[in-house]
Amino acid sequence: MIRSETRDHVRSIKLCRGEKRNALQPAMLDSLLHELRVAASDPAARVVLLLGEGEVFCSGFDMKLVHDDAAALPALLASLSACVRVMRRAPQPVVIAAHGGAIAGGCALLSGGDMVVTDEHARLGYPVLRLGISPAVNAAGLIAHVGAGAARERMLDTSAITGRDALRVGLAHRCVATPADVVAEALRIAAELAAKPPHALAATKALLASIDHVDADATFDHGLAVSMSLVGSDQQRERVAALWATAAPTKPAP
Amino acid sequence: MSLATLTIDARVARLTINRPEQRNALSLDLLNALHARVDELRARDVSLCVITGEGKAFCAGMDLKAVLGNPAGSLELLTLLAELTYKIRTLECITLGVVNGAAIGGGCGIVTVCDLAITFAHNKMGFPEVDLGVCPAVVAPWLVRKIGPGRARSVLLAGGLMDGTQARDIGIVSYLVEHHADLHEASERMIAHLSASAPNAIRATKGLLNTLDGSLDRDLLLRAAKLSADVLNTPTTQAMLRARLGA
Repeated sequence: MIRSETRDHVRSIKLCRGEKRNALQPAMLDSLLHELRVAASDPAARVVLLLGEGEVFCSGFDMKLVHDDAAALPALLASLSACVRVMRRAPQPVVIAAHGGAIAGGCALLSGGDMVVTDEHARLGYPVLRLGISPAVNAAGLIAHVGAGAARERMLDTSAITGRDALRVGLAHRCVATPADVVAEALRIAAELAAKPPHALAATKALLASIDHVDADATFDHGLAVSMSLVGSDQQRERVAALWATAAPTKPAP
Repeated sequence: MSLATLTIDARVARLTINRPEQRNALSLDLLNALHARVDELRARDVSLCVITGEGKAFCAGMDLKAVLGNPAGSLELLTLLAELTYKIRTLECITLGVVNGAAIGGGCGIVTVCDLAITFAHNKMGFPEVDLGVCPAVVAPWLVRKIGPGRARSVLLAGGLMDGTQARDIGIVSYLVEHHADLHEASERMIAHLSASAPNAIRATKGLLNTLDGSLDRDLLLRAAKLSADVLNTPTTQAMLRARLGA
């Protein structure tokens, strides 16, 4: 469910579960983590480009699996935290093509992107408080990505925002007209970055990371522990179960 | 009628600044009333606290007239504001500012300390402190956390006022409706939506955010209150305020 290829120094890593809106399962997220680690240590990969097949970039954790298997949520949380850290610490720039939507865990992945491309009508956000799940797991990444104020808003408000608003608050860095344009723009940016001297990009990225005290491992660990502390709570089990109790799960209002 | 009212319905608390004849300007009595209401709220289990103003204004800022020529009173007023912002931020629920009218100086500071805020496009908001010879020290840490240090610099050093659209664009408010008439319906929708989240997840997330972004630095706020009072009590500022307030 993860496919990786290198072309013209760009390592593309693709979420390939389009029929399920690229919902993340533990094994899938582990292979993403593996591919990201391989890319991060491969000098031939001058740029990492993360994409998703189908209608949306990523709809987050596979909630049916979370409902059915008590071990799934802790595994997903741990791997998600690791994926964001690997991307933020990779020496090469990470470009993410967030077309259509990036929800919950899918939205958290964006915090690993140095350059996030989305489209005007894409839906992005963290609806998970509704389910008794805390987005704390990515607090360090999100604060480093958009600043404390916008991170607070996105983590406490379960509404999704549009791609245009994501650009305004810094969740995305480019916003194009349609989902189809997103990949083209991301490829263009990746090609441009691949032509720049890798050592200068790596030095600059490392410097920026050293200024962001907030995304230290201890901070990521703290957030992960907060999300883990809620796993299996009554509120969480009831609310996740309620998703499958009705024929049409109620979506959070826009 | 109290200068600040608190009502609680199910998991939603509503804290209203209630001094409409003075555009909800923050006097010693009003700040004390707000402290008392927030203390009551801390003992209650709610998911959301809505903060709004009675009448036409949200809050016109500090009521400085009563503390002119009174250095101890100035320090008390600013310390009460500093402690109030800390108390609001450390509530375990989500806080939503429903900015129903002008939010000026310390009033805009109360908006800034809320987790989320909603207003209308043509509202008047901002931090005109420097124009009056006053230092917006108490609100500065909250504004830096809210919109980042670069934008905070441009706002606090420029002084003056902005409209609701500008406040949304720089990140002081999260949601915008076009007209004042639309605010009620939109804010009620937000309230229903925000209060539907799982209480334990709200509490855990809010606590982590406060720990990570420096919100628990109470000493910084108390130092800021002292600095603001010192600037307020300079002869130059006192003279400017006397001329301005006609006192």
